[in-house]
Amino acid sequence: MELLQMRNLNFTYPNSSDQALTDINFTVHEGDFVVLCGPSGSGKSTLIRLMKQELNLHGTKSGEIYYQGIPFEQHDAITLAKDIGMVFQDPENQIVMSNVMDELLFGMENLGFSTNEMRKKTAEIVHYFGFNHLLQQDTSELSGGEKQQINLASVLLLDPKILILDEPTAQLDPIAAKNFMYLLKQLNDELGITIIIAEHRLNELFSLANRIVVLEQGKIKFSESPRKALSLLAENMTAYLPEASQLYLAFTGILKTPDIPFHVKEAKQWLKGMDITSNQSQQEEQVKPEKPLLELKEIDFSYSKHTEPVLNNLSLTVQEGEWLAILGGNGTGKSTLLKIIAGLLTAQHGRIRYKGKKVKQIDRKLIGYLPQNPKLYFLHETLQEEYTALATKHGKSETEVQTLVKEFQMEALLDRHPYDLSGGELQRAALVGILIGNPQILLLDEPTKGMDPAFKEEFASIIQTVKHTGVTIMMVTHDVEFAAKHVTRCSMLFQGEVIVTEDTTAFFKDNDYYTTMINRITKDSQVPTVVTVEEAKASWQMKKALPSSV
Amino acid sequence: MLRGFRSFHPFVLLLYYIIVIAGLMMYQHPVFLTAALLSIIFVNLILDKGVELNKWKYMIIFLALFVFVFTPLFNQQGNIVLFELFSRAFYLEAVIQGAMIALTLSGILALFTTFNIIITSDKFLYLFSKFFPKWALILMLALRFMPLFRKRLADIQDVQEMKGVSMKDGKLREKAQNGMLFIQILLTYSLEEAVQTADSMSARGYGLQKRSQYEAYLWKSRDWAMLVFLLLLSLLTLIGWKSNKTILTLTPELESMMLQGHSWFYLLSWILLISLPIWTEGKEVIKWNFYK
Repeated sequence: MELLQMRNLNFTYPNSSDQALTDINFTVHEGDFVVLCGPSGSGKSTLIRLMKQELNLHGTKSGEIYYQGIPFEQHDAITLAKDIGMVFQDPENQIVMSNVMDELLFGMENLGFSTNEMRKKTAEIVHYFGFNHLLQQDTSELSGGEKQQINLASVLLLDPKILILDEPTAQLDPIAAKNFMYLLKQLNDELGITIIIAEHRLNELFSLANRIVVLEQGKIKFSESPRKALSLLAENMTAYLPEASQLYLAFTGILKTPDIPFHVKEAKQWLKGMDITSNQSQQEEQVKPEKPLLELKEIDFSYSKHTEPVLNNLSLTVQEGEWLAILGGNGTGKSTLLKIIAGLLTAQHGRIRYKGKKVKQIDRKLIGYLPQNPKLYFLHETLQEEYTALATKHGKSETEVQTLVKEFQMEALLDRHPYDLSGGELQRAALVGILIGNPQILLLDEPTKGMDPAFKEEFASIIQTVKHTGVTIMMVTHDVEFAAKHVTRCSMLFQGEVIVTEDTTAFFKDNDYYTTMINRITKDSQVPTVVTVEEAKASWQMKKALPSSV
Repeated sequence: MLRGFRSFHPFVLLLYYIIVIAGLMMYQHPVFLTAALLSIIFVNLILDKGVELNKWKYMIIFLALFVFVFTPLFNQQGNIVLFELFSRAFYLEAVIQGAMIALTLSGILALFTTFNIIITSDKFLYLFSKFFPKWALILMLALRFMPLFRKRLADIQDVQEMKGVSMKDGKLREKAQNGMLFIQILLTYSLEEAVQTADSMSARGYGLQKRSQYEAYLWKSRDWAMLVFLLLLSLLTLIGWKSNKTILTLTPELESMMLQGHSWFYLLSWILLISLPIWTEGKEVIKWNFYK
């Protein structure tokens, strides 16, 4: 049955000459699991918001959206609010109430449910999601993943027929994101709820969805089954493919095949038919002279006397000019470690050495800190004002600032308010501000959260330029694939302690679970073990490619 | 605790407080007030072993003494002069009056220390939302924003401190200036984010129709029983007050403090009313001890 239908949909935002959406025609059937993907600014969010009548997007719309064969306008507002549920990107901002129970009830109260109905439905959903233990908690105490589950549950309580999600996992760590995706699959399979999700983290979604819709510049590029979408994406949007598929494409070069592998199992099958040896000359890494810039010795830290220590006997050495990634699960003390290095927190025990000299705290002027949310970095109305203020503070001349601005291609944006910038521009803008201060160490806190794959690459190259100017970079991240691709060394934090620090490749090669998809594919197989597609490209030598037999 | 005084419907509990406080103000008689204060201390003991009262005891004692000392100083009505000091007469009536006001005051304060234990914040919010549903919703939204704002401000401080803009060191003027700047950022940023909150509210049908209210507290048959009991006792309290049997007459002539006839009956019902928590909680204590 056709549940949702868009016919000749066009949309233009006010004061904008370009159409945000052009000639959108597509139909969602009952029980579908549709993924909308495309680069930032391709119109994903606009399309998704148009499907939700209550959001009342400002702008000119032409064309029609039909729900169950009847145009939106002719539907009862309450039916639409009930039947089409929506979960947004930011887990925090969607929450309205201060306690979990009230948050679950909020939607039902809006739509006039009786107390008995509400009791029954909450009991059911709490049982289904298994979050009995969260019910009496304050919403501000939950983790990001838990918050997003509460948001989902609160919408599900209204019995939606269609669930629309706008990048719901962009702000979550990989484990929570995966759990959330499988929860959606469960809802789709067990309850038959139709799901439309906008997302650029496609790895899991390829095996969950039954249709992939790719948007580009406000138009639908194609709308196909995952298998077909895979070969279509392979043509020019490879960054959106799972690593397994990227590896395949790098070595077969055959497009339009119906059987590009997209998960570990399939890729392993494909590799069985390959005869690959490693190109030895590439294996040898040039040994760089070690020059410790920053040494932490036996650091202990707890937030108060009676709480559990967050960092416990932590020792870490950061080499000059390297890009070090600190990996680890939630609550292992990653952000706390950054704050101690930044001098925002003081450790109770332990020593810090900077360039071999024992210091109590590293001079703030030597450190640049890019926060997770770059919006908080700006104090002034325009970028120009911000940079001028920073230049006077650090005694920099106008021309020095100008060079930096040019280097990061920010000239056109100087008169904009920081909040009007896109996510990528905002991060660049903040980096320019930080570099005006001439830092020796750059601290990055989860920089790739919510970035689309294309921008991730751009961001990496920006950081590489910063690194080439001699700045040492320390990054806290959950993003294993990103770290594997770009970072020189990785440290693993566990229970407040650095348990291992190794060169990136060696680090990931040893790991079984906490590693990249490519490593999981190539580990314990007859082909040489690699960590990233790039490494495979550089070091693999193919003797003969047997016809793929997946 | 599943049973006990706390398990009654918030309306019943609120009614208890209103009646007892009204009674404390109406029954201006040392015997009645002393009995009330003692009962209230017992209520405190049985509810939380007097922990909450302990926190407030100096405050209560100080206020009571203050009133007790200063009333005879300013109240110059009476027939029986106790003594004279600095050519000022101290009357027995005024001293008794002072004692009664002090007892009333400490009784009310001691009762209020149990208020937080019995009517917890969610019960209070529930009662509030019954009388002012719209204000209650705004209050709840505000409650959500408090921790959010605190966290955001801390984040802003951290980030800006790394930039060298700080509220911690520098001249006072600079510190104040930076602080204002931070607040400004906090507000601009929060307004931006609040747009998303508003979207999430309307996506869940906020404002489409009149909201219903979740009854977190169901009205049970025990609540009926307790309500009838409370109303009966308050009726007796009212009759006692009307008949002047429970008030000590100070002027024109000081009455004897001894209770006579009907007054004993009213005292009994008065104690019964105040010590309702003792009966209901005590029953549970005995039950648990017995089964152990």
